[in-house]
Amino acid sequence: MIEVRGLTKRYRDVVAVEDLSFTVGKGEIVGLLGPNGAGKTTTMRVLTGFLPATSGTARIAGFDVFESPLEVKRRVGYLPETPPLYDPMTVREYLRFVCDLKALPRRSAAGEVERVAVRTGVTDVLDRLAGSLSKGYRQRVGLAQALLGDPEVLVLDEPTVGLDPLQIREVRELIRSFAGRHTVLLSTHILPEVAMTCQKVLVLNGGRLIDHDTLDGLVGRHLPGRRVTLADVAFLEEVYGKILGAAPGARA
Amino acid sequence: MRAAFGIARKELSVYFTTPVAWVVLVVVAFFSAEFFTGALEGFRFLTTRALQLHSSGLLDRMNLTDMVVARLFGSVALFLLITAPFLSMRLLAEERRASTFELLMTTPVRPAEIVLGKYLASLGVLLASLLIVAAYPALLAVLGAGAAGGGAVEWATVATGVLGLFLLGAMALAVGLFFSALTDTPVVAALLSLLVLLGLWVATMFTIGAGEPLRNLAEALSASEHLAGFLQGRIVLSDVLYYLSLATLGLFLADRAVEAWRCRSAGA
Repeated sequence: MIEVRGLTKRYRDVVAVEDLSFTVGKGEIVGLLGPNGAGKTTTMRVLTGFLPATSGTARIAGFDVFESPLEVKRRVGYLPETPPLYDPMTVREYLRFVCDLKALPRRSAAGEVERVAVRTGVTDVLDRLAGSLSKGYRQRVGLAQALLGDPEVLVLDEPTVGLDPLQIREVRELIRSFAGRHTVLLSTHILPEVAMTCQKVLVLNGGRLIDHDTLDGLVGRHLPGRRVTLADVAFLEEVYGKILGAAPGARA
Repeated sequence: MRAAFGIARKELSVYFTTPVAWVVLVVVAFFSAEFFTGALEGFRFLTTRALQLHSSGLLDRMNLTDMVVARLFGSVALFLLITAPFLSMRLLAEERRASTFELLMTTPVRPAEIVLGKYLASLGVLLASLLIVAAYPALLAVLGAGAAGGGAVEWATVATGVLGLFLLGAMALAVGLFFSALTDTPVVAALLSLLVLLGLWVATMFTIGAGEPLRNLAEALSASEHLAGFLQGRIVLSDVLYYLSLATLGLFLADRAVEAWRCRSAGA
């Protein structure tokens, strides 16, 4: 579903992403893991057509991101790093506006807004101004916006940032429920998050892909003989440290 | 086009839920009321003087349309020019500052649709302020009467005047939209467009005392010279083309600037 080949993005003399290649299969949930500044956001911005790549190709659902951006944008729901809300609009107005942007059939727009509001738990704030919402609600409205139109691919940049532990659990469950129907690429710098929501992990550091495997695979290779238990956060962090430390030329 | 109308609707609702549009409408209403009563007072003074002098030739040539409405429109034009940058300043600049620009650029919307939608919304506010201005000739028509028993105002001249003001405002908003696309600070966008628009308005002043080719050029570029015909009831093709081509240029450049944003929006 997502195919990236030799993707490089330079900002003048700063290399944000270098020679990145990976694929994400249909219906998979894949985590983009790495410390801040590893190139996660840049990768997502290139995939969603927000930034042009310096070199390399990216295809989503068979369409090249650079050659047919509109086809790609029709199939991707994107939650940017900061939820893109307009403070003077109510949540309902905002979601209707995004329906217009996505050119969803006008007749089904109201139902579609209801649907995503229920899924993301924002029904009780639909008529409040976005500017008055808490960070957790803003994040969930951002997620609701990405879900409008039921896109095949979801690109979520740190979807659980700013949420309290209970909300984090809800959002993780929501994302897990996408498995099979949606292809999801989400970014985070928290390894337990990946462990709890994703089937596969792409580890980025310094703009390079330094590992690419299922979680069990990563643990098996870096800490052979240990068993994975999701609650064992310290243990997972240890694996993360090993991965970053073991990578050639790592700047962690 | 669906997206463009969606953006226009959203911008209109933002205009009227925030103070921007209201302040602009109040400014236009206040100054046009001021100009209207001023012009009316001047007209009354001149008629009494003409009556005292028994100059019927002068009286015959005096009429409300040319002496009150056209004068009102001429003064209001400058205020449309001054308020337009405040209507257009945040349209694109604010998107860029906020993360919402990322939303616009990752949904299947073309930059041209973004520019068009924003422009349509600002034209909506322009139309609203023109309605206020047009209320004054309507007032004259209701309360006054022509000397020969006809209407107090010549509606054809009023209509061309309003058309001229609309074209002027549409040009100003397109120029403002372009500057709004160039910066992420609305105030900078407003000041830059104000500079250019006022420069165009007083273009002929720069060439006072200069020779022929320069003066002609300044006249051709002047936003105020091109309005004169409309206020006198004439629709001259070159005047219409002047405003339309500047508006098109502004929109085209705004579209290009939005397209170029993506390449420059370096960030994390």
